[in-house]
Amino acid sequence: MVDTNVSSNSSESANTASSSESANATSNRTNGETAGDGRNGPDEEPETEPVDATELVGEDLAIGYPTTPEPVVECDSVVIPAGEVTALVGPNGSGKSTLLRSLSNQLEPERGNVLLDGHELQTFGTKELAQRLGLLSQENEAPGSLTVEELVYHGRYPHRGFFETVNEDDEAAVDEAISLAGVEHLRDSQVGNLSGGQKQLAWIAMVLAQDTDVLLLDEPTTYLDLHHQLRVMEVVRTLNRERDVTVAVVLHDIGQAARFADNLVAMRDGELYDWGPPRKVVTEELLRDVFRVEATVDADHPTGPHISPHRAMDE
Amino acid sequence: MASDTQRGDYSGTSGQTRLGWINGSLVTLALASLGVVVVAGLVQVSFGAYSMSIGQAWQAVFDPAVLTNPYLLLQFFFGEGIAETVAGAFGLATAEPELTRETLIVWNIRLPRVVVGALVGVNLAISGAIFQAVTRNELASPYILGVSSGAGLTILLTLVIFSGLAAYLPILAALGGTLAFVIVYGIAWKNGTSPVRLVLAGVIVSTIFGSMQTAIFFFANDIGIVQSAIAWTTGSLTGTDWEQVRMALPWTVLSLILAVAGSRQLNVLLLGEKTAQALGMSVERVRFALSGVAILAASAAIAVAGIVGFVGLVVPHIVRNIVGSDYRRLVVGCAFAGPALMVGADVGARLALSPAQIPVGIVTGLVGGPYFLYLMRKKQQLGEI
Repeated sequence: MVDTNVSSNSSESANTASSSESANATSNRTNGETAGDGRNGPDEEPETEPVDATELVGEDLAIGYPTTPEPVVECDSVVIPAGEVTALVGPNGSGKSTLLRSLSNQLEPERGNVLLDGHELQTFGTKELAQRLGLLSQENEAPGSLTVEELVYHGRYPHRGFFETVNEDDEAAVDEAISLAGVEHLRDSQVGNLSGGQKQLAWIAMVLAQDTDVLLLDEPTTYLDLHHQLRVMEVVRTLNRERDVTVAVVLHDIGQAARFADNLVAMRDGELYDWGPPRKVVTEELLRDVFRVEATVDADHPTGPHISPHRAMDE
Repeated sequence: MASDTQRGDYSGTSGQTRLGWINGSLVTLALASLGVVVVAGLVQVSFGAYSMSIGQAWQAVFDPAVLTNPYLLLQFFFGEGIAETVAGAFGLATAEPELTRETLIVWNIRLPRVVVGALVGVNLAISGAIFQAVTRNELASPYILGVSSGAGLTILLTLVIFSGLAAYLPILAALGGTLAFVIVYGIAWKNGTSPVRLVLAGVIVSTIFGSMQTAIFFFANDIGIVQSAIAWTTGSLTGTDWEQVRMALPWTVLSLILAVAGSRQLNVLLLGEKTAQALGMSVERVRFALSGVAILAASAAIAVAGIVGFVGLVVPHIVRNIVGSDYRRLVVGCAFAGPALMVGADVGARLALSPAQIPVGIVTGLVGGPYFLYLMRKKQQLGEI
C-alpha cells in the first residue's frame, strides 16, 4: 500500500492547516480539533462530548494480517465520535472491514492503539470489553434449529457468569432487543427457516441484546433486499437516537451511507481519504478518486447528498 | 438423568429457564434409549457358558438380596475400600449375604460387561458431541484429533515392546491418546487454531502414528499378542469386570458434569469463532478446555474398552437429528443414546457368531458405516453443523 495521502510525520500540521472544504485534504482529524471549523449543519459534533456516550479512537494504526508482509491499513487517527453513526465507505479492498476488525479488538494492530473512552482495548477483559463494545461480523452462521429467541439470548453471554442462569435483566434486554429489531413475530421461528433479511434482523437483535455502548457492524445490508436494507438502517438509527449508542458501520452503498450516517469515513487503498459529515465528504471528486465513478452529486438534496452515477471510469 | 425427575417448563420464556430446555423429544429419546439398554442388558445376562433360563437370569438381575444390600452394591461400583468406609460411616451391615449361583454369575460376570458398555457409550457419545462443536464439523469424532492413533500406538508399543508395562495398558492407552492430541494442537497452533487446521493436523498425526502401528505389528512374534492388540485397537468389551466399571465410573461422571456445565459455551462456539470472540469468549481457552473434557471422556472409554469406533461419530448425529443442535439437550441426549447403541452393539458382538465373540468395535463399524451412507444420500449438506 502506497503512502500517498498521508505522511505520518506531517499529519499534525496538515491537520490544523487543511481547511474543511478541500476534498483532498488529509483528513486525519485528531480528536475533534477540526470540529469547530465553522461547518454548520445538523450533524455537527458538539464541542464537549456527551458524558453517557462512548467514543472510539484509533491512533497511529498500522493493521495487517500475519500472511501479509506489509500493513493493509495505515492511518494516523480515526475517530468514531460518541453518540453518532459513522459509516465507513470505500471500494472493495480499501480496508474498511480490516479497520473495523481492529477497532473491535478482533485483530490486534501491528502498531498503534485503539482507545475506548481513553482506555486501550487490550486493557479490558474479554467479557468486560464485550459488555461495552459489540460487533456483528459480515457473515454469520448459526445452527438451523436454533430459534430466534435462543440466538438473541446468546447476546447476553458477556453479562452472564459461567454458571449463572438467566435473570430479569437478561430477559428485559432480550425482549427489548427483539422488539427494537422488529422480530417479535419470528421469536420462536428457527433461524434456518428465515429469509436472508429476517436472519440479519435476528442477528442484529442478538448484538442489541448485548447492550453495548459502541456497536460495530460489518456490511449489515449487503445481500439484503431493499426493504430489509432500510429496516436494518432504521433499527441502527433508532438505536442510536434512543440509547445514544455510538455506531460504526461498514457500508457498501455510499448513497445509503450519505442518507443514514452522521459521519462518513472514506477509505482508499488502506488509508483514510476523507472524513466528515456526508454533505462535506460526498463530492464528485470523492466518487472519482475513491470509487472510480463519474457521477453528479446533488449536495442540496433534502435527505442528504444525492448521487447520480453515470459511468465507471477506466482503471 | 433429568428426564424422569423434572418436568419441562414450557410456559413463559421458553427454553431459557433452568430446566425449560428439556422438551418432549429429549424425554422420548431418553426413555427409548433406556428401554434399549434394559432390553439389551437383559438379553446379555441371559446367555453364557453357564446355561440358565431367561426367567432365572432376569430374576438374578433383580435379586432383592443384592439390590437391597447397599454394601454389596457399593462394593461392586466403587470397590472394597469405599464400601468399607461408607459402611463404617453409616453403620451398614457388611456381612456377605447368601446368594444363589445364578445371582453370583449374573452379577459377577455378566452384568459388569453391560455396565462397562453403558459407560463407554456415554463417554464416546459426549466426547464426539464436544469435538463436533469444537471443530464445528459434524463429521468429527472422538478420534479425529489423533486420539485413536496415539492410543493405538501406545497399546502396540506396550504389548509388543514394553510388555513389562502391560498391567498399566489402559492408563498408557489414555495417555497416548492425550499426548497425540497435544501434538495435534501444537501443530495446528499458529497465532491460535482453527477448526480446519485442527482436523488437518489430526489427519497428519493419525497417518504417521498409523504407519508406526503397522510397523510394530511386524515385530510381534506371538499370535496371541497380535490378537490382543487387535482387540484393543478395534475395541472390545470381552472380559470386562467390575474393576473396569470402577475405573471408568468417576471419569464418566466428571466428564458428564463438565460437558453439561460447558454446554452453553459449546452453543456459543457453534455461532462461529468471530461471533464467540465478539461476545467476549476467550475462544482459544474455551476450545482447549472443552477439548480436554472430550479427551478425558474418550480416554476413560479407551482405558476400559480400547478404541471403539463410530459410536462417538454416529450417536451425536442421531441425537442432533432428534433434539436439535442445542448442546444442553444434545449432551443429555448423548448420555442416554450412547449406552443404547453401545450395549445394543455388544449384544451383537457377543451373540452373533456365538460361541465366538467378536470385538464390539467391529459391530459398531458395521452399523455406523451404512448409517452414514444413508445420511450422505439423504442430506444435501453433510458436514457443517
